[in-house]
This record gives sequence, C-alpha cells and structure tokens, in this order.
Amino acid sequence: MNFTGMILLVDDEPHIRKYVSLILKQLGSPRLVEAANGEEAIAVYQRENPDLVLLDVNMPKMDGIETLKRLKELDPKCVVIMLTSLANRETIVQALELGAANYIRKDTPKEEIAQALSSTIDACFDLS
Amino acid sequence: MVTPPTSAPIQLAGRKILIVDDDRLNLRILGGILKGEGYVLAEADSGERALELYATFRPELVLLDVMMPGIDGFETCRRLKRDYGDKCAPVIFITAKNESDDVVEGLGAGGVDYLPKPFKPKEVLARLRSHMQNQILSEQQKLLVEQLSKADAAKNRFLGMAAHDLRNPLASIRGLAEFLREGAVGPLNPDQIELIETIHAASQSMLEMVNELLDVATIESGELKLHLEPCNLGELTAKCVTLINMEAAKKKTHVAYELPAPPVTLVIDAAKMKQVIDNLLSNAVKYSPPGSTITAIVQAGATPGTCHILVRDQGPGIPEGERDKLFKDFSRLSIKPTGGENSTGLGLAICRKIVEAHRGTIVAENLPSRGCEFRVTLPANP
Repeated sequence: MNFTGMILLVDDEPHIRKYVSLILKQLGSPRLVEAANGEEAIAVYQRENPDLVLLDVNMPKMDGIETLKRLKELDPKCVVIMLTSLANRETIVQALELGAANYIRKDTPKEEIAQALSSTIDACFDLS
Repeated sequence: MVTPPTSAPIQLAGRKILIVDDDRLNLRILGGILKGEGYVLAEADSGERALELYATFRPELVLLDVMMPGIDGFETCRRLKRDYGDKCAPVIFITAKNESDDVVEGLGAGGVDYLPKPFKPKEVLARLRSHMQNQILSEQQKLLVEQLSKADAAKNRFLGMAAHDLRNPLASIRGLAEFLREGAVGPLNPDQIELIETIHAASQSMLEMVNELLDVATIESGELKLHLEPCNLGELTAKCVTLINMEAAKKKTHVAYELPAPPVTLVIDAAKMKQVIDNLLSNAVKYSPPGSTITAIVQAGATPGTCHILVRDQGPGIPEGERDKLFKDFSRLSIKPTGGENSTGLGLAICRKIVEAHRGTIVAENLPSRGCEFRVTLPANP
C-alpha cells in the first residue's frame, strides 16, 4: 500500500478493530486511530482530522449510515470506506449515494481483505 | 407458536347454512330438520336472492335447489364459485330423485354433493354433518399450514441472523490465528504453533458450517437469485478440480477430470454452480479411502443443449435405504468421512436447491463395482 496518511478505524467489535489494525500494520500503515461507535468516531474525527475513515456498517445506536451522514455534514470532503460483512447491496448502495468512496468486505480471508484494503485505499487517493 | 388442531369433538351448533329453494314447503321442511342440530339458518327463494344473501350472511354451507325461476341452481353455484373462488362454502344441490343428469351437472358446476327429494331427515343430517366436519377439518388444516409456514420463515430468519452474527467473530479468530502463526507478534515454539494450527483449523471448519447455514437460510427464504451468464462448464470444473486436489493430496487421493470436446457453454450462475461442483468433489474426497481416484466428467446430454456433470468416487457408496435422505436438510448418512472431517448435512441439500433453481436435476447412484456417482443434469436454458 502506498497510502501513508492517518486512518480512523470505526467498528463496535474489538476483535475486528484488532484484526483490521494488524492487517493495516502489515500493509505498512502505522498511523491509526480507532473508535468503537458512531459518536466516538465523530469526536475522534474532529480531534485528529484523519485522511481516511474505515467505517463499519452495522453498529448499535448510531449505525454506519447515520455516522456517514454526520461525517459528511461535518466535512463534505472526508474520505470514507465502508466495512461490511456479507455484502448487503441495499446498504452499500445507500452508503455510496451518501458519498462513501467504496466498500470492503471484512469477512473474507485475510489475504483478500489486505488486497482489498490496499488497492481500494490507494485508488481513493490516486496512489496506485 | 403452532397450535395443533384440538382433538375435541367438532362443534356443529352455530355453523351457518344458507337454504335456497323457490318452494316454501321445502324451505320449511329443511328448516325443521336442521334447526334441531343447532345450525343457524338463512333462507332465499331464488338464485338472485341467494347471491345477495350469501354476501352478508357468509354461510359455511349452501343447500341449493336446482329448478328455480330466474337463474337456476347450477348458474347460482357457478356465480358463487366465480365470486368467492377457493373461499366459497361447499354447495349441496337439492334434486328430485332419479335425476342423474342433474347430479352430474351439479357436481360439474362445483357442488360437493346432492340431497334427493323427498328428504329423509336422518340422511340429511348425516350428510350435512359429514360435509361440515370435512370443512372444519380443512379450515383447521389451512390454519395449521399457515402457522407452520410462518414458523418456518421465522426459523430461516433466525438461522440467517445467527449465522451472520457468528461469521464475523469466526473470521476474526481465523485471521488472528494466522497472524500468530506467521509470527507477526513474535516467534512461537512448535507446541504453540501446534495449538494455533488447531485453533485455525477449528475456526475454518466452523466458518464453513456457518456459511452452509447461511446458504440454506438464503435459499429457503426465497432470496436465491441466479446471475445467469454464459459459462464454459468444462473450464469451471477444471478449476474446481485443481483446487480440490490440494485437499485430496492430504488424504492421498486424486481427482481426475474428463472434459467434452468441443467445449460446452451453458447459461448458468457460475458462482453457484461452482459451489455445487466444489461440494460434490469435497464430499467425494471426504468419503473416499486413501489411494482412491475420483473422477469428474462433463459431457453433453442426449437432448441437444443439455449437459451432465458426473462425479464418481471409489468410496463406500450410499448405504441401502438411505438414498432418500441424501438431498434433505440436516440429514447425514450412517457412513463417516474417512479423515474425521465435519459435516452439517446441508451440503447436498444446498446443491439440490441450486441445481433445481437452474431447472436441472441431481441424482446419486451406487456404481456396480464400488463407489457412487452423482449426476447433475442441466437444461439448455435454465
């Protein structure tokens, strides 16, 4: 991965945050901040001003779609890639319409997630 | 919750009967016979009046005279059937004795029975009782089927949700085990590696089972949608064989394939069909003894445009009397995988559902020497 900016990883599941952060580390991206829910994500975004947000779709209370809306209100230029499990077409379409840059499935084998993260992130920043 | 029909005696009192006859005397006689049983009665003296009354009274049974001025009994019955369809109450015709043409036409118009005149009270009551009971039973059955299909849909939703929620943590466990195994967080000694390998293998096989549960839930809830496109079936099969040979090598078995010349191209959902072929091949590997050969064959069918996929193994075959269980949900045969592999008993059920969604068939037969053959037949245009 050529991208070296700061990433905000948002997921309510600690094991997913651990897992994805290990993958990102292996891809050579050391600048990572995390949030465990939508509200925390907004706060961390305002404080850290990351270059990219990896945002879980399914979260209790404020879900990924709602969080995406708030982030876009806050900063229309923020780059958000959705994290989904079994591709839920409707939610993905909704997220893309709301301005998400792309989506990545997190329930595929590790190598596939790494490949998807690297190519999708680089493509978002024209680094590939 | 599903409540089975009660076994208490069926209560006939209060059931509603519409009597239609232009002859006042007949109305009075029938009314007198039926009142004793506790039925609630309404009377109409013509077909037209009967149609009006039916709409408001909503009887559970109609006694209908054949010969009436205006629209006759047959026509009245046809209109009732037309207007109310399956929900129409059973119609019993009232006919004079020995008019067998009337009986035939009456049954043809949708009647369920006939009452001959002059009326014999005991016969009238017995016939009505039996029709009422049939009707009540069929209502209960409909209700039960409705409840059962709701429960089944709920089960599928639950399966889907449970499987969804299990998938993510399992994928994480598998991935995190891989990080450990690779030494991403420091070197491990051989004992630690062995434990990690076990965790990895267990999470992997659980993931496969959860995926099968999800497949079943998706298929059963009617969400199975085929994405049809032309596909070279031989090429697809060859890919599956290459992949499965890595598994097969671990058990010292080998998978060979025979492809048709010229190649066969069918319009199918390639990803779903790959799942079917993968499943048949992995079953063959699971149940084959070491050193055996499994053969996958793609051949054109006898009917132009159709195609067969055959998978032959040299395993124990299908035990006598267990063939019916093969393609059913959650059913496992008495034979066991030769390498202690897992099975949900869903794989072949999923295969059957996918093949049938392509309007194809899947059958299994034991081979004369040993082993068995699974045969998928796909039509030209699914």
